[in-house]
Amino acid sequence: MSETVTFKLNGKDVSVPKGWTVMKAAAKEGVEIPHFCYHEGLSIAGVCRFCMVKVEGRPKLEIACNLQATEGMVVSTTEDEVKEAHKWALEFHLINHPLDCPICDQAGECSLQDYYMSVGKYESEMTRPKVLKPKALDVGDQLVLDTERCILCSRCVRFEEEITKTDALGIFNRGDRATIGTYPDKRLEHNYQTNLVDICPVGAFTSKDFRFKQRVWFLKDKKAICPGCSTGCEVDVYGKPEDSHYYRIKPRHSEVNGHWMCDKGRYYYDHMNPVGRLRKAISGIEGSRKFVDTDEAIADLARKISNSSVSDMALLVSPQYTNEEYAALLEFFVTQMGVKNVYQWREPTESTEDFDGILYRGDHNANTAGLAAALKAVGLENNIENQFDDLAKSGAKLVVALAPELSSTYPSLKEQINKLEELPFVSMWTIDGKVFEYPGINHAIPMKGFAEKKGSFIGHSGVRKLEQPFPAGNEHARDLVETVEALTKVMAHL
Amino acid sequence: MAGVIKVASPPEDNNLFQKGYGYISTISQGMWKTWSIFWEQITGKEKTNTLEWPEAPANYSDRFKGKHFLTRRPDGQVRCTACFLCATHCPADCIHIEAGQHPTNEIEKYPVRFEIDILRCVFCGFCEEACPVDAIRLGPEYAMTGNYGEKWVYTKDYLADRTQLQGGITSVKDEQEKHPTTDHHPNGEEKIKALARHMQH
Repeated sequence: MSETVTFKLNGKDVSVPKGWTVMKAAAKEGVEIPHFCYHEGLSIAGVCRFCMVKVEGRPKLEIACNLQATEGMVVSTTEDEVKEAHKWALEFHLINHPLDCPICDQAGECSLQDYYMSVGKYESEMTRPKVLKPKALDVGDQLVLDTERCILCSRCVRFEEEITKTDALGIFNRGDRATIGTYPDKRLEHNYQTNLVDICPVGAFTSKDFRFKQRVWFLKDKKAICPGCSTGCEVDVYGKPEDSHYYRIKPRHSEVNGHWMCDKGRYYYDHMNPVGRLRKAISGIEGSRKFVDTDEAIADLARKISNSSVSDMALLVSPQYTNEEYAALLEFFVTQMGVKNVYQWREPTESTEDFDGILYRGDHNANTAGLAAALKAVGLENNIENQFDDLAKSGAKLVVALAPELSSTYPSLKEQINKLEELPFVSMWTIDGKVFEYPGINHAIPMKGFAEKKGSFIGHSGVRKLEQPFPAGNEHARDLVETVEALTKVMAHL
Repeated sequence: MAGVIKVASPPEDNNLFQKGYGYISTISQGMWKTWSIFWEQITGKEKTNTLEWPEAPANYSDRFKGKHFLTRRPDGQVRCTACFLCATHCPADCIHIEAGQHPTNEIEKYPVRFEIDILRCVFCGFCEEACPVDAIRLGPEYAMTGNYGEKWVYTKDYLADRTQLQGGITSVKDEQEKHPTTDHHPNGEEKIKALARHMQH
């Protein structure tokens, strides 16, 4: 039982655990104290001098981020003196800010813009020309740095020190010539660079991947779970549903991933974009393969299934689908039809035990544990050895393959699929448009991506739920199905 | 009294003109006016207000908001920074921009594609108002013709560089510190006047 303290915030009694700062208590109470340098996931620096609050009985205003709440303290954030302090602090931050919002990717989600509107002093007193600094510097594989926009809050420097422990960034020079930068001839090289874009309250760091692609006010975000590894970070996927186009992924604060996510995960929206995606089903039951409607392809598959004997059928399942999809698939093929041959689709080069100490794990599948549990539930053994050779040799006449959603996490994907060329009929359920290039694949069904379906993964830290699917947008998304939906349609045809 | 409406009684039909022949005099008065103006016009006594456009020129104000154009920087590059503010404010959703990284670091962001679907455009001028750098303006050209679909999507090259613009019009907004120039661009004003005159011939 931890000790609590009670203090007055804007005339209201607030009880928080001892040791909490006024900033943290205010955030919990829903009282917004303007701040730049304070970040919940980092240490306290107190450099921006923006989060001023009035404490009764103390001669000067104090910074809320470094002010511990004590018993009986009376704090105000609404007095004129405090408002005046916020106004002037912001005026100082804007002295050398270039105001290139029109070309800045942060515009629309920028703290400077937001605070200018809420607490700003609209007319600047500054008459001297602004200090010019280097712009558009290439400081890392993922990052572009604009030192003019920087307000020197030092969040990025602390991130480098505390989270990745790479110490790649520092503040150089003094006074109005102070700039953020890397050490000479050094670049940021770790796997967590894009977090700097997220924590930067202004547009000093921008992401090379997202740079100039879209203005943020056109984007909608939906909650999802990163499918890139078994950690299962909680993320927000940003896209334009009307175009069925996705633009970026950002981490959402949770117990699993804290405030961060890795750079690899940031790219796992691209396979859901119309270019390069399988948007129509392929059917080649009789004669040559051609693109058809999904319903037609499913009817073809159902006919094929009803004409085949159970012993000739095999399933090939990759661990990147949801528990619900596995349950439906195994229920239908194993329990109802009696298929015995279930193979797992694993990457032979993977090292599942790897862990980088922050978030990224070597098992690049979101649901390895979920697949194992689903197999166990229908009484099959969970064998994660590479099984493509076994499958190719088994002589199965009808293979239904649930291909991995993220082809990029399977470096030997092509090689593996080519092994299936000997088999007479392979129906690949996939999202990857390259499937047409493999001559061994006679049939394909276009699947929905992780941001477009509901379901759950069993990640490293328990069950993670996908709850907010993007709606099917335009004609590109009309034919997409998820496994459960496809199976229901197959059953209707039998 | 509420609810009571007094209806006037019909005019008494005791007059010859009101018995059904009154229209003759009214119609002959009207036809007299029509034919007399027609006579004056064909004999050239009175000027007609109808123009034989396009053979005869139509004089619109120089400030008429017609066909869009994109302005340029003093060095000839397109002034637009691809901030998307015009596309955001466009009520007709007719502006399509694709932004990209310019090869020179001084410009950074520029429009790789800038297209206006002129059939959707309602000529409200919001794009002009939203633009922070005077990159897009509605010019005085009011006549727009075309006979197939592509003609109606104005590309970046057409908007910034069509022959009527005579080498392009310079924006009045400039990054003062980076490219010091005068605020006043006489060549811009002259060219716009020329554009208006061009429409008249």
